[in-house]
Amino acid sequence: MSALAFSVVALLLVGPVPALLARASWPLRAPRAAVVLWQSVALAAVLSAFSAGIAIASRLFVPGPDGRPTATVTSEIRALGWPLWVLYVVVFALTLLIGARLVVSVVQVAIATRKRRAHHRMLVDLLGRPHNPSLTRSSGLRILDVAEPLAYCLPGVRSRVVVSEGTLTALNDTEMAAILSHEHAHLRARHDLVLEMFTAVHAAFPRFVRSANALDAVRLLIELLADDAAVRTAGPTPLARALVACASCRAPSGALAAGGPHTVTRVRRLGGKPNSVPLAVTAYGTAAAVLVVPTVALAVPWLTELQRLITA
Amino acid sequence: MAKQTRLGELEREVMDHLWSSREPQTVRQVHEALAARRDLAYTTIMTVLQRLAKKNLVVQHRDDRAHRYAPTHGRDELVAGLMVDALDQASDSGSRESALVHFGERVGADEAAALRRALADLEAKERSRSPAGNPGIA
Repeated sequence: MSALAFSVVALLLVGPVPALLARASWPLRAPRAAVVLWQSVALAAVLSAFSAGIAIASRLFVPGPDGRPTATVTSEIRALGWPLWVLYVVVFALTLLIGARLVVSVVQVAIATRKRRAHHRMLVDLLGRPHNPSLTRSSGLRILDVAEPLAYCLPGVRSRVVVSEGTLTALNDTEMAAILSHEHAHLRARHDLVLEMFTAVHAAFPRFVRSANALDAVRLLIELLADDAAVRTAGPTPLARALVACASCRAPSGALAAGGPHTVTRVRRLGGKPNSVPLAVTAYGTAAAVLVVPTVALAVPWLTELQRLITA
Repeated sequence: MAKQTRLGELEREVMDHLWSSREPQTVRQVHEALAARRDLAYTTIMTVLQRLAKKNLVVQHRDDRAHRYAPTHGRDELVAGLMVDALDQASDSGSRESALVHFGERVGADEAAALRRALADLEAKERSRSPAGNPGIA
């Protein structure tokens, strides 16, 4: 029973729920709560998928009516019959495999990201000139001798904000302040770690199960969070101007953003309705419910079932 | 940390010197060029050059008795590589690791037009709000 329930919850959290959440427009008005909701949906999906796998595998013990195991390793094939036994063993193996893949993926993404970032930072430090102290007191700012307007940040312990000479000439001081507070918001809140987790989960699952929904949505949401920080220091219009300047320059071939027109969404949002507290509260509540309800309703009875099976 | 920064600063200066010289430079030549402005030990320059060689930024030529160092890549080449790496990651929809976070993305012609319209709307809204003086009280 619990195996079926876990499977249904896992399937819902992997399929329709992210699809609906990705299509919703309310996250634009409550980005922080929406990021939390995405995280809790992802965590709940992984947890219930595991629980489903293990609940199915626990039938290898052939629990009797009182929940005690009635079969041993040697007699279980006879008790279950070959087809069912093979099915349970395959499910168990798949569960372990997905778990291992997830761990490997988290480690791989972490190592690859840090390696690539360290190399990039080494070159930025070598080629970029340190910031002009009159512009801003912020540390870790590097200016690259490139004519195109360009701005990005390298997160991490030794973080850097990189802008090009083109950005400095194209933008005025308020617009620069908007860019810098946007980037510093990313660095301060370690948005990269949120993104890294979703990248790792995305990379761990086979192509036909995963969807780009979650990763793409979270990507946009963390930009919105940083935009909100920039609006607080510089106001919406300078931020919008800076965004348009950085986005609409000549695009080198093959360098078009594949993630969709996020920038358009962001600029439109700056002129739209402000963030809503009721929406955020609802989203936080839903995030808590997504984690708590399946745990209480499914996991607790199942754990007692499992305990009876193992301790007997 | 302070030592790290100082070494990083020296690495920049040494690379700048190598980029501006026509021929591969000996440690002595680099030392002379840099020590003209401040007090620097010969061995420090040697260490810096070895560090740069380990990072594959300079290459060591051995002619006669002296070791000569030359940059592996030109400055412009490295800047171009940096840009490609940065843009590459911006266009990456997440199948690979994204080591950096972009401010804006590159957009196509349709999106650029939509962007300009959205910005114009925002600016119009702002203009209608601010010169009105005190629009809150009717």
